[in-house]
This record gives sequence, C-alpha cells and structure tokens, in this order.
Amino acid sequence: MDIAEYLGGKTLKTFIGIVFIFYFLFSSSILLRNFCECLKIVYYPMTSLIFIILTFIIVICITLHHRFSSIAKVNLLIIPLVIISIVFLFIANIKNFSLDNIFPIFGDGLFNTFVTGLGNLGAFGGITLLYFLPPYLKEPQKMKKVYLTSIILGTIYFLLCVSIILFMFISLMYTNQIMPLYSAARYIEFGNFFQRLESIFLLIWILQMICYLTIIAKISLSIFKKITNIRDEKPLIFVFGLLIFAISLLPKNYAISKFIEDYIYQYMVIIVSIFLGIALLGLAYLKKRKKKELNTDVKENI
Amino acid sequence: MSKKIFKKIFIAILIIMLLLAFSKSYSTLNIDNLSVVVAMGIDASDKNHLQISFQFTNPSSVSESGTSEQAPSIIYSVDASSISSGINLINTYIGKSVNLSHCKVIAFSEELASRGISDEIYTLINDTQIRPSTNIIISKTSAREYLENSKPLFENLITKYYEVFSGSSSYTGFTTNATIGDFFDHLICHSCEPYAILGGVTNNSTEYSGTTNSENDTSTKSNSSSLSGQSTAENTGLAVFKDDVLVGELNSIETLCFSIIRNQVDGFLISVPNPNKANSYIDLHVTPLVSPKIDVNISNGTPYITIDCRFTGRIYSMEDSADYLNDNMLNQISNSCNSYLESILTEYLYKTAKALNSDINGFGKIARKHFFTLDEFYDYNWGEKYKDSFFEVTVDSSIRSSSMLTES
Repeated sequence: MDIAEYLGGKTLKTFIGIVFIFYFLFSSSILLRNFCECLKIVYYPMTSLIFIILTFIIVICITLHHRFSSIAKVNLLIIPLVIISIVFLFIANIKNFSLDNIFPIFGDGLFNTFVTGLGNLGAFGGITLLYFLPPYLKEPQKMKKVYLTSIILGTIYFLLCVSIILFMFISLMYTNQIMPLYSAARYIEFGNFFQRLESIFLLIWILQMICYLTIIAKISLSIFKKITNIRDEKPLIFVFGLLIFAISLLPKNYAISKFIEDYIYQYMVIIVSIFLGIALLGLAYLKKRKKKELNTDVKENI
Repeated sequence: MSKKIFKKIFIAILIIMLLLAFSKSYSTLNIDNLSVVVAMGIDASDKNHLQISFQFTNPSSVSESGTSEQAPSIIYSVDASSISSGINLINTYIGKSVNLSHCKVIAFSEELASRGISDEIYTLINDTQIRPSTNIIISKTSAREYLENSKPLFENLITKYYEVFSGSSSYTGFTTNATIGDFFDHLICHSCEPYAILGGVTNNSTEYSGTTNSENDTSTKSNSSSLSGQSTAENTGLAVFKDDVLVGELNSIETLCFSIIRNQVDGFLISVPNPNKANSYIDLHVTPLVSPKIDVNISNGTPYITIDCRFTGRIYSMEDSADYLNDNMLNQISNSCNSYLESILTEYLYKTAKALNSDINGFGKIARKHFFTLDEFYDYNWGEKYKDSFFEVTVDSSIRSSSMLTES
C-alpha cells in the first residue's frame, strides 16, 4: 500500500487497496464455499450449506477480534500439524504410487502444458500475502529469511500435494474429484487396525482453512483501515465477515463455484497477485532509481 | 447494559440455530437410525434391471449370547432399476437408513458382469460411504447365493471374515485383493484393464479325474474346485474385464502369475517337475527377491514386453532318499523351477493378450513413456494393440535348501 502511495499518490493507493480487498474477499469466499460443499457431502448431508459456512464465519469473526500476533501464534501451532499431516499422507500412500503415471511427459500436449497450463500459476495465489507481511514483522530486517522460509515450506507442501495426486491413482487425475487429497486419505490403511484416518485429516484441514481465512480477513481489514484512515477496524469485522458469507453464497451451485475457482480465480491470481504486484514493485523501483539519479545530478550541478 | 443483553440474546439465538441445523445431520448419521450393510450383492434381474441383495449383521447378538456363537447375518433382496432405488426401497422396508461405510464386499453376478457394470461402479464410487478398499467379487453363481453361502467358520462376525479372507492372497497368490478403488482406477485408465476376485459356491458334486496330478491342484477356480466344507463360498481365481465387461477368468495358477507380475504376493508354494525323477514333483516355497523388472518397447508398432523375475526358495516337500544338501541337486531344482515359472508366466501372458485381449497387468502404464503426449498414446490405441504383444520372461531363482530335514 505504501509502495502504491509512493508511486501514484493517494488515488493509486486507494485503487490498489480496493483491488486487493476485492481479490482477498472473493478468493476466500469461493475457497470457503467449495470447502464447505465438500464438508456437506462428506459429513453433513442434511445440514444446509448456509449453516456450515456460517459456522466458519462466526469462528473467523471471533478470531479477528484478537491481535495479529495472537492469530500468528495460533498459525504457528496449526502449520506444523498441516505439514506433518501432508508428509504422513505422502508416506502412508507411497505403496500406492506408480512413477509411470508421470508419462507421457507432455501430458495433454505442448500447448496445453506450457500455454493453457499457465493458468495453473493460480495455485501460487498465497504469494500475495507476502506483499502485506512486512508491517506485521517484529524484526523487519529478517524479512528475507521469513519470505524464504515461507516460500520453501509452501513449495514442499505443493510438491507433496501434487506428487500424491500425480503418482497415486489415475482416477485422482482424470476424474474431477471433489477433494483429491481427501480421496487419497481414504486409501490409508495399516493392516486391519488403522483405518479411516481421513477424519483426522479433515479436522486438520478445517483448522487450516480457518487460519487462512482469518489471515486473509485480517489483512483485508488492515488494507481498508489504511485507505480510509479509520482509527479502529473492530466495528468492521462483522461487515467483512458478512461480505465473505454473502459472496460465498453467490454461486448457484457447485458447478458454478468450481468454474469460478478453476478459471476466474486462477486468472485473477495471475493478474492481481503476479502482474499487478510485480508491476507495482518494478515501477516503484524505477521511480526510486530515477529520483536517485535526479538527486545525484542536482548535487553534481550544485 | 442493554448492549450486553442484546449480545447475549444474539449469541443464544445463534447457538440454538446452529444446534437445530446440525442436529438433522447428526440424526441421519446416528447409529440408532442406521442399518449397517456388511456385503452387497448385485444380480441381473428379469423383472427390473437389477436385483440388489444387502447382507446385514447384528453384532449385539454376540455380546448377548456370549462369544462362542456366531452373529446371525440377514439378507434382504430387492428388484430395482438402479442401486440408489434399491437402497431407497430397502430403507423403506427396514425402517432404517442403509449405511454402506462398513460394506466389505460387493459381489456381482457373472451374468451382470458380462453385460457391463460401469454404471454400477461409477454409482458406488460416487457414494461417500463406500470405501475404496471394499473387495469386488464376480460370482459364478448369483450374487445372493454367494452371500448366503459366505459363512464365517473361525470368526463370530461375518465382518471379520470379509476383512481377512482376501489376506490369503499374499501367501498363496491363488486369489487377489481386488478392490473397488483399483477397479475404478483401471476402468477409467486407458493403459490397463480392471479385474476382480472370482467367487463362487463350491460344487460338491465335482467329479475327480482320479489321478494325482499337481496340475489339478493349480488349475482350480471358484465353482470348479474339489473343496468341500461347511462354508461353501470360495474365492479362487480372477475375473478379467475388458473395459467394464467380463471377458474371462483365470484359474489359480494364472492368478498366481498375475500376482507375481504385479508384485502382490509375498511367497507361494509351487510344484515343479523333479529333475531326477520322471512324472514326479517337488513342492517349493518361493519368495520374490525384488519386484519384477518390466520393460515395454514398441517395435514396428508392436509391443515387446520383457519381464525379469528373481526368486529365492526352499524345498517344502520331502521324500525318501532325498539329498538336498547337494549343491548340484539344488542347482538342478533351481533350473527346473526357472523353466517351470517361465513357462507358466509366458503361457499366462499370452492368454491375457491373445485370448482375453485385456492388459490387467498394467503394461500400458509402462508403455506410456514412449509417447510424448496423451493424444499420441490414445492414437496408438494400446487397448487394441495389446493383443499383438510379444513377451519374453526370464526367471532367476535360487533354491537354497530344504526346511527342517536336509537328507533322508
């Protein structure tokens, strides 16, 4: 936000702020909607989707009343669980892996892999959060280390997820399954004793989802606070909660929300998170360099 | 003050609302409202499209009457146009909701499997309650008859029996742990074909040839074996599919070959010709050393498949005046084992290719490395080219000794 203000003044700051708030609220709402659709199918067949989503919204709104550091500390407890669970999922399913699934190496063809496949960059949407992280860091000088750790952890998580889906069963790739990792978790069995471990995974993923949505909402609130210069964002917590709730209910059915997630969200990530973010940083860098050069020229002339 | 009261009322309303909303799902999934299906049988029906049989058990009857008695199993059948309709009708009849999450076995009749079962498989996989590890059986008799004859002899609960029966595949190789998850995976895969356990009911009137021949032991399959006993359901052999249609069966020795190639057997007993005595056989317990090395090459558009297997083993049978401490003798037995395994594996592979044209071994997955894109692979049409395949099997076994006795 500060970079946008530096680059284009208050107008650009407000514009960029609105774009990112929309992006965060929209993406989190669709993510929540799709996740709740899965929960409904698996565990709550007779409960209306509205109430399942509402439960998440209530939890998010309560959590948002706490400071960012408290939310970060809860994340610190949940994230290791998430990483351990995915490593466990990978190891427990190794017996079902077939490395031959990687072939044919170019899959659906060169164009689909390298051109149409660019849309899959949407999976890196989480990178956007890194743009807004610096103000919350206790020691900003360690920013590079924090960023590197986040990216490495994220990459490992992604690699494990993709490997499970790619190497495990062809049906996980070729059928549009509602939750491929959940399907993979259903295959975990250790003899006749340890079975049906997918419930534990789902519990961890629910906690993960709440953490992610809380962070997203907290950052959206802080952007709003910055562009409107309000003193306290707490009265807005329920407004943002209701916004997420309302947007998540917009798609008429799962087909539409899945379409939004697979196509609209993917390209939104590329435009907002990758192009807009990098363009802002690049232009600000150029402006700073130009200013520096001008200052040097002025000093030399003096 | 009024703000606090308003907040409390709001929270109370919210809690009541959520309790009411989630109580419906709780009631639906409550154990009191469920009837747990342990096995399901699907037959072709004259009246309607399908006849679906559900096998239930009452575990509480065991605890009531002590552990020595078996829990009775109850079978209900219904004629319906689809599995979902059948479940709906049964729900109405028994007054409880059928729950398939503990269903261990799904049996299809041979007649239905010959028509194609893709719709049924897709429906079952689409059901969140069905687990991918559920065994799939193609019954030579009707599926209902198979379920009626499946009786636990050494366990009190039928569920326990269904849980463990497929485990024998790892030490006999005469059956396999075919699951609905694998079946579905192979059904949608363009480079392999599905398979299922071949089930049946023992026909006690089977006539014996009268001769003692090890080939008789290994050529058995469900419904044509010489078994007799209290439990008449049997699971020997493999049902082979081309897409979703049953195209053939494998007997016990062919199923063993399948298990060897797919590395699904930990060890097995075979009878190989005795190198020192004509018309005599030696029983060996053979253990795969490593998983088979399989390579697929495409030569002039024809698949050329090489399989390299390595085994170790011990002599299991003992006879008078045997000398199994003799290195030369062990080498001769190893060579006999090599040629025997090579011959049965080659025969089995050509049967899958020429007679059945069904790549249940999944060689197509290995062949995919020769193609750059999926379209190229689909154009090649592996499913049809498989019948033209050539096989080369190499077996390297090392028989180390006998067991407790080394000489007699």
